[in-house]
Amino acid sequence: MAIVKRAEGRAYLTPLVGFLLFFLGFPAAVNLVYSISTVSFETLRSPTLSGFGNYAAVLADREFWGAVSFSMRFGTLTALAECLIGLFLAVFLTPLLAKRSYLMAPLMLPLMVAPAMIGLMYRLVLHEFAGPVPYYLFEWFGDSPAFLDVDNAFRTLLVVEILQWTPFAFLLFYMAYAAIPLEVREAASLDGASALKALWWIELPLMLPTLVIAFFIRFIDGFRVFDNVYALTGSGAGGSATSLSIYIYQAFFKGGAIGKAVAASVVLFLASLAVLYGLNWITGRRRR
Amino acid sequence: MKLNRTSFSAVAVLLASVALPGMSHATVTVLGWPGGSEETALRATVEAYNGQSGVTDADKVELLFFNRDGFFDKLQADMAAGSDAFDVNLVATYSIGRYAPYMEPVDLGADAGKVFGESVLKTMQFDGKQYGVPTDLSLHFMYYRKDLVDALMQDDAAKKKYAEIAKEHLGKDLQPKDPDSWTWDDWAATTLYFSKQVNSESPVRYGTVLQMKNLLFNMMVFQSLPRSYGADWMDKEGNVTVDSDAYKTGLELYKKLYDAGASPKDSLSYEYAETNAAYGSGQAATALQWNAAAADLTNAEKTPAVASVTGIVAPPAGPDGRADHIHGLGLGLNKNAKNKEGAVKFLKWLATEDAALLYARNGGSPALAPDVVAKVSKERPDLVKLGEFASKYGYVMNGATSAKALSVYELQAKEFTGYWAGQQNLEDALAHTKAGMQDLLKK
Repeated sequence: MAIVKRAEGRAYLTPLVGFLLFFLGFPAAVNLVYSISTVSFETLRSPTLSGFGNYAAVLADREFWGAVSFSMRFGTLTALAECLIGLFLAVFLTPLLAKRSYLMAPLMLPLMVAPAMIGLMYRLVLHEFAGPVPYYLFEWFGDSPAFLDVDNAFRTLLVVEILQWTPFAFLLFYMAYAAIPLEVREAASLDGASALKALWWIELPLMLPTLVIAFFIRFIDGFRVFDNVYALTGSGAGGSATSLSIYIYQAFFKGGAIGKAVAASVVLFLASLAVLYGLNWITGRRRR
Repeated sequence: MKLNRTSFSAVAVLLASVALPGMSHATVTVLGWPGGSEETALRATVEAYNGQSGVTDADKVELLFFNRDGFFDKLQADMAAGSDAFDVNLVATYSIGRYAPYMEPVDLGADAGKVFGESVLKTMQFDGKQYGVPTDLSLHFMYYRKDLVDALMQDDAAKKKYAEIAKEHLGKDLQPKDPDSWTWDDWAATTLYFSKQVNSESPVRYGTVLQMKNLLFNMMVFQSLPRSYGADWMDKEGNVTVDSDAYKTGLELYKKLYDAGASPKDSLSYEYAETNAAYGSGQAATALQWNAAAADLTNAEKTPAVASVTGIVAPPAGPDGRADHIHGLGLGLNKNAKNKEGAVKFLKWLATEDAALLYARNGGSPALAPDVVAKVSKERPDLVKLGEFASKYGYVMNGATSAKALSVYELQAKEFTGYWAGQQNLEDALAHTKAGMQDLLKK
């Protein structure tokens, strides 16, 4: 016998579904209409349907593909680095954290800061005349690199993102690593497995779902990056630091190309959906 | 039941006691330019207005501020949505065309011309109609280190080195000059001389600080250079002329100085604040910067390293003389204002001489007619210079008040910084800019 009857279940779910439909569905529907319309700030309430021209304009725009490339590279590299460093920290710090759990708080601190604030903070920290990093580099080595010039900006942005979000991956991996049953480790040890072999053949496979989920969450976050990049470099010299989110923002507000911006956001939405389905498929396959 | 009625009445009285004072407060809401001297001056001016006996409670003014970041984007979204959250809103010369559809022209009266002068009133006009009261004028000053330039002028060995550097890097025979008679070549030679990368004996690290971030405001700083060589966005027939030799000269000079190390390596991420920090550190000999920075850069408490040795002149001259970009900030009437009558009354008062002087005395930067500015020249000597530079060298590019003016600046910022960063060559950058501007400025 079901604990909750079908009708009761529907009654419980209706408010939530209604809420989601209104607050997510309505903007999504407006987005879809705008993406196939000729619309400007003056005609926000009376867009004219014009077919798929906006999509064609977006897909033919070299800047759109530049932004896609930036977001892909940024998302992939930051997710990879955050997961690898997070995993390393989780494996090596678990014994220490088991005894001194209060150390977890300072490790989590970067997550508490808003990304835009991180961007502003590094703008100050890296400034040649006001920041401590260039100051000491000049003191010690007589020179300091241009952290935000066109050659180094991408690397600087990667480091800033990785420093802020590695704790997130670390937190997930630490929980997964600590959740591995002690008996499994003991059994492996009795069978003569070295620590490295136990890690490779037993612990990592048990942590794999968490690894995959953490990678995709971080990839999505990196892919849609906006705040810290915009605060640090704007869209970069010649648009060299234009992520897909910045592209959409600029097309919408700066260029007034609302239809084109919204079409790009729909493309981003579909790409995100594809990634999420991929994630779902991978985790579903593992369950089978 | 009786108890319920009593309770209900008590609650009603309580609510009324809370709500009514609120209703009796200001009913003209003014959305101002947040932060900085503009906010301070507006607050003081509004306080004086509200304190006048002739201003009824219904016409008292309340101020509203939000963040500067993305201000004009948020304002556009608000106004396009028909917001009536404010009766009077900020407007700038370069965005009048963008906001005019959501605003109403306002008649400031005949005396406004006597207070501000017709050329300044024009910074708030679109299609021949007055859309606002000009409250602050912005232009650029060339800030320079008097001590360094004086030392250079008095040292024969230094002059010889200067001439060698000018010949080697600019291909010209130049001698050090007084900054007030600099051409752009003189300025360039000076910046190269004072750069460690070019001249290891330079007492400072850099000769100048170029604002080269991909940001529309930086294009306003830059464009006075090509303008003094005759540049304009469009000719009289409406043809886009951004690919002129004048623009090429200006763009090439910036790149040459940046590549030679005359400006900090991170200049491609520099805007207003970074420039102040760099010049204020005492490690740069010159900086072309907004007039708003004068108060800080000449204040010994805020900028101890350079305040006492900073000189200010108008931007250097080109073959067409000197040119100084001007734009105004002002306040105008929201089309959807709830209290239009009160708002117009406030705007008309703001355009009077008394209000303009009050605004100036409280830190604002209005451009005032010569006989009006004379009344505050002791407290605000910088306003005299502001008025002088604006009237002698001020210009507005043809097309720079159109609805798409901000988008044009955005486009230039992207393409020009791409050239300076070495991502595309000059011809491509100008071809992309021209094509984009033709699209944006077409009627």
